[in-house]
Amino acid sequence: MCGIAGIMFKNGRTDHETGVALIDMLDGCQHRGPDSTGFALYGEEHRNELKLRFLVGEGAEANESEALIKTALEAHDAEIVEDKRVGNTYQAVVTFDGDLRSFAYAMEHAAPDAKVISIGQSLDIVKDVGSAHDVDDRFNVHKFKGSHGLGHVRLATESDVRPESAHPFWATGFSDVAIVHNGQITNYWKMRRRLEQRDFEFRTDNDSELVAVYLADKMAHGAPLREALKSSIEDLDGTFSFLASTKDEIGYAKDNLAAKPMVMYENDDLIVIASEEVSLNRLFPGQALNTKEPPPGSYDTWSKST
Amino acid sequence: MVQIDLAEVPVRQANELIREYGAQGEDIDIVNPDARHHIGVGLTDPVTVRLHGSAGYFCAGLTDAARFEVESNVGWGLGDNMYTGSVVVGGNASAIAGVAIRGADIVIRGNMGSRAGQVMKAGTLLCGGNANFMAGYLMYGGRIVILGDSGERVGEDMAGGEIYVGGKIQSLGSDAKMGDSEGAEIDDIREFLDRYEISYKGDFQKIVNEGKKLHYKTSEQQMRSIPFVAFSGKSDYWNPKIQEDIHIKSQIGRYRVRGYGGARELPHLSDITFAREIANLNEISDPVSKVEMHTLIGGKHGAQPLDLTMPVMIAPMSYGALSRSTKQAVGMASSLAGIAENTGEGGMSDAQRGAAKQLIFQMLGGRLGWNIHDMKRANGLEIYISQGAKPGFGGQLMAKKVTKELAEIRGIPAGIDLRSPSRHPDILGGDDLLIKVEEMREATGYKLPVSVKLGAGRIRDDIKIAFKDGFDFVELDGMQGSTGAGGAEVMEYVGIPTISAIMDALDGLAEIDALGDIQIILMGGLRDGVDAVKSLCLGADAVAFGNATIVAGGCISCMQCHVGQCVTGIATQDPEHEKRYRPEIEAHNIHRFLESVRWQIAALTHALGYDNVKSLNRDDLVALTPEAAAITRLPYRPDLRERPSLVEAV
Repeated sequence: MCGIAGIMFKNGRTDHETGVALIDMLDGCQHRGPDSTGFALYGEEHRNELKLRFLVGEGAEANESEALIKTALEAHDAEIVEDKRVGNTYQAVVTFDGDLRSFAYAMEHAAPDAKVISIGQSLDIVKDVGSAHDVDDRFNVHKFKGSHGLGHVRLATESDVRPESAHPFWATGFSDVAIVHNGQITNYWKMRRRLEQRDFEFRTDNDSELVAVYLADKMAHGAPLREALKSSIEDLDGTFSFLASTKDEIGYAKDNLAAKPMVMYENDDLIVIASEEVSLNRLFPGQALNTKEPPPGSYDTWSKST
Repeated sequence: MVQIDLAEVPVRQANELIREYGAQGEDIDIVNPDARHHIGVGLTDPVTVRLHGSAGYFCAGLTDAARFEVESNVGWGLGDNMYTGSVVVGGNASAIAGVAIRGADIVIRGNMGSRAGQVMKAGTLLCGGNANFMAGYLMYGGRIVILGDSGERVGEDMAGGEIYVGGKIQSLGSDAKMGDSEGAEIDDIREFLDRYEISYKGDFQKIVNEGKKLHYKTSEQQMRSIPFVAFSGKSDYWNPKIQEDIHIKSQIGRYRVRGYGGARELPHLSDITFAREIANLNEISDPVSKVEMHTLIGGKHGAQPLDLTMPVMIAPMSYGALSRSTKQAVGMASSLAGIAENTGEGGMSDAQRGAAKQLIFQMLGGRLGWNIHDMKRANGLEIYISQGAKPGFGGQLMAKKVTKELAEIRGIPAGIDLRSPSRHPDILGGDDLLIKVEEMREATGYKLPVSVKLGAGRIRDDIKIAFKDGFDFVELDGMQGSTGAGGAEVMEYVGIPTISAIMDALDGLAEIDALGDIQIILMGGLRDGVDAVKSLCLGADAVAFGNATIVAGGCISCMQCHVGQCVTGIATQDPEHEKRYRPEIEAHNIHRFLESVRWQIAALTHALGYDNVKSLNRDDLVALTPEAAAITRLPYRPDLRERPSLVEAV
């Protein structure tokens, strides 16, 4: 029940107007999902640092959460380099070199009313209720410069309109992995139980989170993103088109029935993928693009040059 | 020639301009289309529309006679349901190009996406490049020409028509086979290619329907005449119904198909009664004048609402399941009673349109009989997702009823056992549905209410989607609803009871804080004004009667609707049988029944202490059985079971 978008500038520089591009693309397909909007943005990499973003809400409750998060960070030897509150989120850059998965789960449990939205060396996720422009107003997405990113607009048909059920989903426990998804995973519970038996935690009942954790698990076992996407088409049942990204890559997978739309455009400088061509055209107004529609049951990845 | 710049003019306004210019015979140039949706929908004049760029979803959809030229690419559903006219696309087309076309030329110079030509009925769909998978899925007629490779499963479950492939045939779909093409067919294709200036000198391979799935191997057996009371088999374990069921299966070797309603006992409105004692309704003099019953349905988004003299409508029933005369009679009765009628699946006949003052036009997945001209003369548009008697299934019409005339209206081959597609080609999620609803609104200038018919299944979720997708109202159909033909076990065991359906719907809306924000028309085995009032108390905004109106119009409840030999001339397409049905007389019978409903609604509302049906509420009800109490969360009052039935009080 959504629209998705992804962009990668191929030259690997992190000074591209990624935020503006994603806002335009999502505004183009906002009709697919007017309820909430989100962005996964990949900026400059902080080699020995981690960027964390928590959803904390507003007011006294948020202050309390922030204090608890700080205590938890200290307890895990994560030293705060800088931090601030933006909108309903708390953002911190920390130094940390321990085991990321246990650290991530500890952060998730740091404060009862806070939720981790993303952790990564270059990844930052912002998501909230409202349109692409609403979310931009709150988080200054248009100022964001980076190498690549994903975006998502959501039509909330099965649950409340809440910021935490917005996309993108971070693959909890795995640095810098994010996904946006349009569709429905029908073997959700089966796959989730499999992953839970191996001590993965799930933050929501949203099937898109499963896609993120599934991919991250594959990659943690050494599979490149490409392989993870390939196996996802076999392992996940349902109708889906999703985009996934890591620090250096962006990729897609599309189910065997091609029930969810996806179209892409590539030139020497960039690759853009979206649910509808109208989003791609936003980046090239007035131009007839030579677009491609990925076939059913297909996947592909692109890497930025480093 | 006029120009419209879509960078300046919103699509909604542009479409109005396109139709205005079209009416004046003016050709139109569109610049900066930038892949926007719904460009040109609803145009029915023979003008040329040139798009300089790419178009989004449903370009040229729901049109007749116009010529479209698109320089670059198009999104899903190119030329949706086009009657005549043409679309030429310079680049690629996305999924379901040429969906449900009824006669147009669709030319795509590049590649086309999956399921091209799904449920198309006539016309030509040509792809200059390669097709993606399942081209010709469920097609009923016309031809698809693919100059490149066919894609996987080409011709999947096609019922008619031809597919010609110039390149490689990657794999054949279910019930498709290679056929022999005659010289004249190929000459005709070459002439078509010349007309659109496409040079192709290669050969063609032809794919046609294999005919394995068009008919049941054994036809449906006539049933013995068992009265419904015995058929519903309340008391005995090996009752006549069970025996008959086994006998018939022993003959046909498969599941059975039958008509009429479910016969299994389920919690229903009769398990609910009024909290206060109601007696001697007859003593209320002229209750109709004392109670406000006027109801407007579907005006929520600015469309012209249905204007009902009471909160009652006719449930959707198809011309096909029912004879033309029956649909005419029901339409006349609806006008006499001042309520709305509904076409059901299979198109709108002139007789029906003429008879019904207010008529909802229904669209199903097969798009049988669906077209822009009848949309424009309807009073409401409705998307059928499923029905209470067989949720998750499409309509069923056995061969006997698929006459030449009926097949023509629906655009399908005559004489097949028609099992309509259960899914819509272009509705695979709430997001697609949103775009589809907008296409219908764009094509008809936002004048008509657009509703959705939901058979009760996962109503708690479905109603949220219906609300989020901006429907004007929901027609909610419970398991006790009847049908012209359905799998016997499906009718008895699939779905949820009508009282559960309304509760789930209201609970779903409450969860998203939208209670009261979308109107609900409840149906599914409602028999009289008493059931209507109980439904209104439970939270429905109006109710609909289907089977009750058929019984009022002469049905003898023999449950043989599927056979097509209906002795009363109701559920038949045989002119000899239909002769027995006298629409003018039956219209008055149905009307008198509807007036009895009106009187009962008024009398009960008055007796409950109100002067407006909108005041009816849950506090007026109690449950008589533990099941009904559990479902409705009404107070359980077994002590009231012995109270004389309300029908006797009237």
